[in-house]
Amino acid sequence: MTETDFLCLTPFLILALAPIVIMLVISIFRNYEIVFGFSLLSLILAFAALFFIAPAIPHSIQPLFIIDMYSLFFLGIIFISAFIVALLSYNYIKRLEGVREEYYIILFTSTLGAALLAVANHFVLFFLGIETLSISLYILIAFQRTKDNSIEAGIKYLILASVSTAFLLFGMGLIYTAFGSMMFSEIATAISLQGPLTSLAITGFGMMLVGIGFKLALVPFHAWTPDVYQGAPAPVSAYIATVSKGAVMAVLIRFFFNIKGFDDHYLFIIISAIAILSMFIGNILAIRQQNIKRLLAYSSIANMGYLIIILLTGTNKGIQASLFYLISYFITTISAFGVITLLSNAKNEAEMISDYKGLFWKRPFVAIVFTLALLSLAGIPITAGFIGKFYVIFEGMKAGLMLLVFAMIISSVIGLYYYLRVITTMFSPAGETTLPQITFMGKFTLAAITISILILGIYPGWLIDIITRFVGL
Amino acid sequence: MLTIPIETQILFAGILFFLGLIGLLVRRNMIFMLMSIEIMLNSAGLVFIIAGNHWKQPDGQVMFIFILTVAAVEVAIGLALILQVYHHYKTLDADAVNKLRDQNSK
Repeated sequence: MTETDFLCLTPFLILALAPIVIMLVISIFRNYEIVFGFSLLSLILAFAALFFIAPAIPHSIQPLFIIDMYSLFFLGIIFISAFIVALLSYNYIKRLEGVREEYYIILFTSTLGAALLAVANHFVLFFLGIETLSISLYILIAFQRTKDNSIEAGIKYLILASVSTAFLLFGMGLIYTAFGSMMFSEIATAISLQGPLTSLAITGFGMMLVGIGFKLALVPFHAWTPDVYQGAPAPVSAYIATVSKGAVMAVLIRFFFNIKGFDDHYLFIIISAIAILSMFIGNILAIRQQNIKRLLAYSSIANMGYLIIILLTGTNKGIQASLFYLISYFITTISAFGVITLLSNAKNEAEMISDYKGLFWKRPFVAIVFTLALLSLAGIPITAGFIGKFYVIFEGMKAGLMLLVFAMIISSVIGLYYYLRVITTMFSPAGETTLPQITFMGKFTLAAITISILILGIYPGWLIDIITRFVGL
Repeated sequence: MLTIPIETQILFAGILFFLGLIGLLVRRNMIFMLMSIEIMLNSAGLVFIIAGNHWKQPDGQVMFIFILTVAAVEVAIGLALILQVYHHYKTLDADAVNKLRDQNSK
């Protein structure tokens, strides 16, 4: 290992050391505030380390890691999202009975897994990253041990995620058998040498698609999403919807563009079908939901459907559109789940739509934040969601994917119905429900996220410039 | 020495994988479901060993060791969660754990 190798690995070393330090500290002296402060500090340090790496890239540590601008970008958004989730969790986790400090340990290990996915260039790291991420998620989902729902969501996720991992691994094994290498770039070379894919390779890619489709909650591998979102603590749902899916998307885009999967006829048809099904089934099933967490789960299924259109464009411009869409989806989802987190108390989660009746008259600030988040998810102008959707549609049309773009527009209209239903509930006359007080820190975080939704919606140019600088033309 | 064609070897791993999958779908006891998942993971490991042997590379066996390690972690957490399920529901039947579902009443 050279010095540059070590420099490039600093964010990972920080993320790996932080949980160990926290473990040692809480074995001697348990203090929630100290652990919380230390976690935020470590995430800031990991983020700051990215600036020191920047001059040394692109750098690859053979054969596992590749650290380039693209991975740096994903590392950045993963760390920022984890930071915001940690901030929002403060009160929610503090109110739990029993052990609470361990939450931050697991948050770190899962962030480490997600970060590894962003730099993976080899099946071994791909597998290790995805497993570090999902094994940590089993614990986070079942963190409220006293609640039936939490345990149920945990065991459901555990069984289904392990099966999807088995599929992913078997697919990787078949691809290794077919091409004799586990490195993304060498697989790509082998594919270009061998010509059309053999049935062994097609089976391999198909099985990998099952595993990845599960992690991204694409139809027909979506059945776990609403149950897990509902049972998991609200900040953990936010984490699954953003960091976990974003990291898997990072490695999927890198792998897919390396092997030029969009050139293969079968893969093209399969992914188009998955995208269209995800959009429609996600949006249609969301319509009748009475539970806001389930509603957001179905909406995330639809959103991932929009996002994988980008895989089929096969251009760098397409990747830029997907990065913009991911960022707008990240901040919007975190803000929606942030509202749920802050309105929940120790006894019950504010998860039914009826809990939000007349919210505007009782807590106008939170109601406005939630309204903007839902409008952004629906893709209404002056919010980030609109620009993101517009960008994806624009790139999709340039690549000639008319059917997919058309399906996206129609299903977005269906989506508008259920978002507006929640908004009208919030503005209807006040109900009887009592709401917990919201801390200053929570208000501040929500305000910052909401302002960024508006800024990205009104003036998206600067972010597009940044993304262009990271991904190139 | 007798050499077995690689297709047969892969087919063998595939059969193991689907045995695991069928076990998972048929069994309702969570411990058995966890065991079926282990079979699936190990059959995937077997594919890596076959491929590593086929290409004369150590990579396949390295991957297998990683798979073993991760599978062990998964089982540890799985058993801990199953213990919690037993505390709450007093049963290991997967069908009993079904409180989370779509409520389509309006």
